[in-house]
Amino acid sequence: MSNNKSETKPLEKIIELRLPSRLGYERVAMDTASSLARRMGFQGDRVDALKTAVSEAVTNAIEHGNQHDAAMKVVVLLTVRDDELIVSVADQGRQLLDQNNVTRTPHIEDILDKSDKGGWGIWLIRELVDEVEFTTAPTGGNQVRMVIHLER
Amino acid sequence: MLEDELNVGIRQREGVAIIDLMGDVTTFAEEKINSAYREVTEGGARYVLLNFRQNDYINSAGIAILIGIVTEVNRNNQKLAVSGLSQHFQKIFRMVGLAQYAEIYQDEDEALQGFKSATTA
Repeated sequence: MSNNKSETKPLEKIIELRLPSRLGYERVAMDTASSLARRMGFQGDRVDALKTAVSEAVTNAIEHGNQHDAAMKVVVLLTVRDDELIVSVADQGRQLLDQNNVTRTPHIEDILDKSDKGGWGIWLIRELVDEVEFTTAPTGGNQVRMVIHLER
Repeated sequence: MLEDELNVGIRQREGVAIIDLMGDVTTFAEEKINSAYREVTEGGARYVLLNFRQNDYINSAGIAILIGIVTEVNRNNQKLAVSGLSQHFQKIFRMVGLAQYAEIYQDEDEALQGFKSATTA
């Protein structure tokens, strides 16, 4: 990435992805986030953690927020700052996130005998990034904002 | 285009049924992994190794599939181990608690050794 020398404010670069709500497209967001994070100088383990967090956020948006309706978009904004990378994922909110799920910590012992063995996504996101916020966007969809800090 | 294929293979080595998983472990992998597990179980496997290879992408849906295998392994009195996971996914498996139910080994040879010492112990 080239630096614009005439810029006086701290550089902030924003990349926007608009993905169809079809499983598999979360890879595009993962790969973009991974590529940016590497260029910013994040270590491999942090890039891997970010990739998992981004994939879970986009997968949730596709499956739950937009209910697999391919015509509905998932918008991923990647904001590159000098010392952090912010990834926000927004869906169109056909189904709103149950706030109880945001703070829940799943336990494998409780899950083994359940027919639904899922529910790890949001917890994984919380565990893997430095900051995370789950909100409702002004337009009514779910929004997840994830931040990883660059340690120098 | 983006629904990557997972290639699943079944082998036997030193009394262990090895299920090779090459590719991505996501929701699209469910049928393949479950049917490979059913096949080795119907063949009488007592020791099952999930041998991961080149898995860049295992997501929470993939983790849910693997927890399903753990449930079946417990029910069928088998022993389960995993090998070949990257450092990142080893960490995720520990975080989720899968490591309580399946020993994690670096590679296939180490896993076979582990099964051996578990049977002689």
